[in-house]
Order: sequence, then structure tokens, then C-alpha cells
Amino acid sequence: MVQLNRQYERSYSLEEPITIKVVGVGGAGSNALDRVMLDGIDAVEMVAINTDAQSLAASVATQKVQLGRSLTRGLGTGGDPELGLAAAQEAVEEIRGVLRGGNVIFICTGLGGGTGSGAGPLITQIAKEDNALVLVFAAMPFSFEGRRRCQQAATSLAQLRSVADAVVCFENDRMAELALPRMGIHEAFAAADLTISQSIRSIAKLLQHPGLLHIGFDDVCAVLRNGDARALFGYGEAEGENRAHEALARALKSPLMNRGELLADAYHAVVHICGGTTVTLGEVQIVMEELNRHINDQTQIFMGIAINSKMGGKLSVSVLSSLGDGSVRAVAMQPPVPQSAPSYQPLPPSAPEGGLDPARPAQTALPDRTHATMAGTASAPASGEGDYALMRSFPPGAKRPDAMPLDPASRGRFEKGEPTIIDGENLDIPTFLRKTPESR
Amino acid sequence: MARDNIFAGLEIGTSKVCVVVAEARHDGAVKVLGIGTVPSRGIRKGEIVDFETAKRCVHDAIVDAEEKSDVDISEVYLGITGGHIRSFNNRGVVRLEEDREEIEEQDLKDVCKNACDVSLPEQNAILHTIVQRYYVDGRDGVLNPVGLFGKQLEADYHIVYGIGNRIKNAIRCVKELDLETADVVINSFATAQAILDKNQRQLGAIVIDIGGGTTDFVVYVGGAVRQSGVLGVGGDHITNDISIGLKIPTARAERLKIEEGSVNLGTTRPDETILLKDETGFAGREVEREVLNQIIHARLREILEIVRRQIEADQKSLDLVGAGVFITGGCSQIRGLESLAMEVFGMPVRIAHALPIAGVTSAFENPQYATALGLVRYAQFMHLDRPVPKSVLSRIKRFFFA
Repeated sequence: MVQLNRQYERSYSLEEPITIKVVGVGGAGSNALDRVMLDGIDAVEMVAINTDAQSLAASVATQKVQLGRSLTRGLGTGGDPELGLAAAQEAVEEIRGVLRGGNVIFICTGLGGGTGSGAGPLITQIAKEDNALVLVFAAMPFSFEGRRRCQQAATSLAQLRSVADAVVCFENDRMAELALPRMGIHEAFAAADLTISQSIRSIAKLLQHPGLLHIGFDDVCAVLRNGDARALFGYGEAEGENRAHEALARALKSPLMNRGELLADAYHAVVHICGGTTVTLGEVQIVMEELNRHINDQTQIFMGIAINSKMGGKLSVSVLSSLGDGSVRAVAMQPPVPQSAPSYQPLPPSAPEGGLDPARPAQTALPDRTHATMAGTASAPASGEGDYALMRSFPPGAKRPDAMPLDPASRGRFEKGEPTIIDGENLDIPTFLRKTPESR
Repeated sequence: MARDNIFAGLEIGTSKVCVVVAEARHDGAVKVLGIGTVPSRGIRKGEIVDFETAKRCVHDAIVDAEEKSDVDISEVYLGITGGHIRSFNNRGVVRLEEDREEIEEQDLKDVCKNACDVSLPEQNAILHTIVQRYYVDGRDGVLNPVGLFGKQLEADYHIVYGIGNRIKNAIRCVKELDLETADVVINSFATAQAILDKNQRQLGAIVIDIGGGTTDFVVYVGGAVRQSGVLGVGGDHITNDISIGLKIPTARAERLKIEEGSVNLGTTRPDETILLKDETGFAGREVEREVLNQIIHARLREILEIVRRQIEADQKSLDLVGAGVFITGGCSQIRGLESLAMEVFGMPVRIAHALPIAGVTSAFENPQYATALGLVRYAQFMHLDRPVPKSVLSRIKRFFFA
């Protein structure tokens, strides 16, 4: 007699398990890493990369790489990205060693300082060598940290965007909205770490745990390898009667989402619903229907549902998407990576030729601190170019997603009320601002 | 109220609070006794955002109507709107027990209950269940199945629901003024009662009420409501667009919209301008007429296109509409809207006001009163149908005790 074995394991991609590596670069990066570790994540390799030996020693990561053993001798970079880059160049082989074999590599870093801004792009480049899916979570400095830091961060962000598959950019200024101004400063910083941790954990969960409706590595790649590498992410968890609605509302409340308004410009979106055995069809329907109000008709949705008894009465919704023109990024755009090159050249926008030019003896003779300042001023026009490149990366017809919906003046008298959003368009913004004359 | 054939309809609108008091005659006609209207405050997009202020407005409007009609109002039919209101169609099925073969009143209730048994988003409550058609043993075209022989009764319903708390706000506003709410009706449904005659409902018609804060629409096919919806966009948005686009104060933009606004494009002379005078009568600045028209055109076209898209979601709907589109509400007064709507919908469009009725003639000639008049019509209709609508009271209670 033939019997159906009900206990069989559904083998999704077991023959080729997906290796996930989480890499923390610099001080902020290792903080985020610790947070991920603290929140709990399984079957993931953690790598901490830092110049500061002390902070490295304190990290909970399983693998550690110290940068600039001979250059900085275990100290930090003192906020100098040049030094950060040079230190990383010293340890290229070591970095390559720890990153090898990863299918998905998350790189968390804080931009604006030395190690994150300097070494981050290089590490990302090395990670890309193996054709892994590389997602960078970059925390931008608070605007009160000074223009110089912000400038360094912007330059570095432009570099990261050109190398990584997707960059999720956390602006600390906006993270602060999550925490009240009266809360401790550590909580404001922790808010960014928490969001990074949630993002990483839920993507890892999505890739590792087979679901009823499975979202595969390929789906995530389709969403993130597209467009211009500006990723949107939202994660929400809720319990109780109205959990479907609340979980989605929380996911959309993520500072990266701008209340879901930015989703209107996305071409692909991954929605992943995870809950205990009590998840009902109605709840899935509620989530999808409410989400559909925020996206346009052309958006391709990859829906995933997973049942995880660990969730208990909770239900979580993750929304993952990237903004862009929908065209697959040309591989040729990326600077070719020389496989056997002993040392790495810095990427063009950050090369402060003026500062390091040996043909100017007066400058090379300057002590180190001044040197750094010079490098900073020299990179100012370069960072401007980086901004320009960002603007250019939107096709001429498309609007810049962050240009209009964020403009506070454009909703006029409806500013304070609940926005009317239909098919992903905020109807409170004047029609003539949203629609170009051609499309009428 | 002195007599039981006098009804009051209350519409708490974004631009005005309006009360219509009317008498239902024995021959089915309605005579308007008085209209009370007050510009509203504390209301955005058809919903109360400042309870005390809104309450005062409602109070003033009621007093105004009582004075003009010489009727003491004790209960009102309340119009409801707001972007949270949604609708869908669903079919209910009931099978009769083995020993019965005649369909009874109770079966109608059961079939309705069956159709309503769907999972609504949390905190939502059903506002209306409007029957579309009955099927007995699969046979279509049954008007009233009670008393017919059959084994299985099916019915299609149009179900309107909204967030309970937001509906409660309006009801509480009335309650605190020591008035009873006889029933709550969605605005679009009420408006259609005032505008469409039986023939037009049978032929199929779309009613679009573009008001101050919301655009309400309803589609009738074969005498029954097929679709309905509320869009949280209206005339206030046009004013806001003008104010932002031309950089003028909102109050000035509102006046400019009413006095000069049009949706016709390309009909102005090049460089034709409108001189804006300031409060003291001095010449202020000039705005280009074409720019003003473009701003209004863009917004109204978008509103109509969204309505069309939502109606088209049910593919057959548009083809089944025979009588055309009826546009009403304050924004229908904007010049050229008729031809724009004709372009968008590709069918005859009429700027409609309420059907002629006796009494104050300005009542039906002004599209602004269409909804409140419709509420009175609805009241009359309900009254003819069943003298003591007990289910109605329980329905209102449900909002509070759910």
C-alpha cells in the first residue's frame, strides 16, 4: 500500500544552504553587530572589522579582523578616512579570507568617521568579488556632528552605492525621531542599531526559514539588485486582535519608509508575513490590501508567508524594496576588481589628489592632523560630484523619490491631518506638482 | 416633531453643516419646509477633527432650520462620509430545512447575515447592506422571494463599512445636542436618492458628489447599488492647490476658484491675466488665467480618473451604465466640468441638482443641498417601507456597544 509520508521535510534549497555573513566595520558597525548578536540570530557568521583593537576585543563577533596593524598600531583612525582606507589596504588578504564563501553579506557601518568611511567601500568591493549579494547598512552622522563629518559620510555613501547591491541608509537625524529628545543619547544611537538589527534579522530569517509561500534568494536579489541601490526597509511586529493592521502600520512607520510614501516609486517589493500557527487568511488579506494602497500598479510584489511556532501570538510584517528605474544595473558600471592586485586603489571620488600629491613638498611636510584637514578640503568638490552622480542616477522622466513627498510645504493646509493616499499617491499634494505636463 | 411624516436630514459637511426639514406627502411627494445652513468649522475631509467646534456648528444649523421651518426637530437622519468608508459586494446563501419549502421573512435575514459574515478589518463596522438581487434555486430576477417556493435562497449584497469610532463621533455630536439619530446613511447613497429618479436607477447611473472635503460616488445598475466609494479629496484640495501654486492665501484662493475657476484649457488669450485686488481694493498682483485653469484641471481630472478607475475595478460596471454620469456637490459649479467628465468617462454627463420638489425652490436648484435632501428622501422611503424600523435602532446601538 502506498502511504503518503506526512512528515517529509520540504527541501527548499537544502542542497545549497545560503551562507549569511554579517560584517561590522568600525565602531558603529561593531555596535550594530553586538545588537544583532544580542537580539539573537542563528546560523550566521559574524565578522568584526576595526582599526581599534580595544573595541575589537570587546566585540562579541566570532571572527575579527584588525586593520592597520602596523599603521595605526591598534588605535583608531582619529576620524581620518584616508587612514582608514590605508589600514584596510594592509589587511586585504585577511578580509578576503573571512568574507569568502558568503552568499549574502551584510555590511554594517557608521559613516563620517575614519574606519567606516575609509575602509567600508573597500571591504564592500572585496565582498562583491565572490558575486555575493552585498547589502550595506550605513548609519549617517547626526547633522550636529559637523559639516565635515557629514561631507565625509556623503562621499563614502556615494562610493558604497556604486559598489554594493543595495545600500540601506539610516540617517541618525531621522532615527532620533524614533527616540524622544529627552531620552538618553545612547538610546538615540541605539535606535539606529535596533533598526539595523531588525532589518538584518528579518532578511536572514526570510532567507533561511522555508515558508508556506517561500521567498527565495533569487526574489530578494531581484528586488535589491535593481535600480540605483537605495533600499527601503520596514519591519513591524504586533500582537493582539488587530495585529495584522498594526504590524503593517509599524513596518511602514519605519523611518526608511516615510510612512510608506516612498513605496510608490518602487518597482519590486518583498512582503514577508511571519506568525504563529494562528495566522489567518483574513489577516494576510488585510496586510496585502492595506499595502496595496501604498504602491502603484506596476510594482511587482513577492509575497512570502512563514509559520513559525516561536512567534506565538505575534505577527510580523517585513517590507523590503528598492527605489530605482527598474532596469538591472549594468555590471560594467562597477569598477573592475583586480583579482591579484597587491594593494587597492581608492575609488575615484574620495581620491584627494591635492592632499597626497608628493609634488607639493610644503603639504607633505605638514604634520598629520593638518594633513587630514587638507584632505578634507580637497575632497569637498569630489563630494559635490558624488551628489550629482546620485541625482543623475534617476532617469530624466522619473521624479526623485525624496524630492517631493518629503517637501513639507507642499501639503499646505492638509499638513497636520491624516494623508489621503490612493494607489501610492499622496493626494494632498497638489496634482500639478505630482504630475508632469507630459503625463496628462 | 409634531407629525410623523416630517423628517430632518443632517449633513455635517466639510464646507457647511446643512439641515433640511421636509414633509413627506401621502402621494409620495416631498415638500421642503426649511433649510438651515452654517459654514462649518472643525471638520476636515468630511470628518470631525474638533468636536466642540463642530458641535456648535451643528447646533447653529439645527436652530436655523427650526426657525425657518417652524418645526421642533427631535430626530435627524445623519449623513456620513470620510475616506475610511469602503465597500464590497458579497453573496449570501441559505438552504431551507428539509421540512420547509416556502421562503419566509426570517430566511431573508439569514441570507443577509450570511453575506455579512466576512472578516472586516478590525474596528470596522457595517454601515449598510443593500440588496442587489435575489436568486431562488439559482433562478435570477426574483424581486421579492418571500412566499415563493424554493430550496435555496441566494442574494447579492452591496456592503458598506467604515471605522466604527469615526462614525460614532458624528452620532455623538448629534446626541449631545439632545437629538436622536434616526439612521445613519452614507452621503453618496443619500445624494443618489435626491438626484436619480427610478427610471435612471434602472438604466444605470453614476452619481459623483464632489464636495468640500470628499468625493462620494455611487453606481446604480439595474435599479440597485452596484458600487460606492468615498475619496478624501474635494474642493478644499483645489483651493489648497491654487494657494500653493499661485502663492496666495487660502481664503483668496477659495474666492478665486469660485469667481474665476474653470477647467477649460487653451481657451484663454495668451497672457490673459486676472488682477487680484487686496482687501482695501488696491490692485495686488496678477495671475495668469491659464495657470489657474491648469491647476484646477489637473486636480479635477485626477479626481474623476480615480473614480473611473475604482468603478472599472468591476469590469462590467461602466458598460452597464445607461443613463450616464450625474455630477453634483459644490465643485460641480466649476465651469467646464461637464465636458471634462465627458472626456474622462466617455458617456453623457449632467451637472445635476435634486429632482424638483415643492417648497423652497432654492433647495433643489442648489447642488449643495442635494445630500441633505437625499437624506429626507431616504427617510421617506424607509418610512414607507416599514413604519417602525427597529433594526435601525439596534444598528446605531451597535456602534456604541460593539
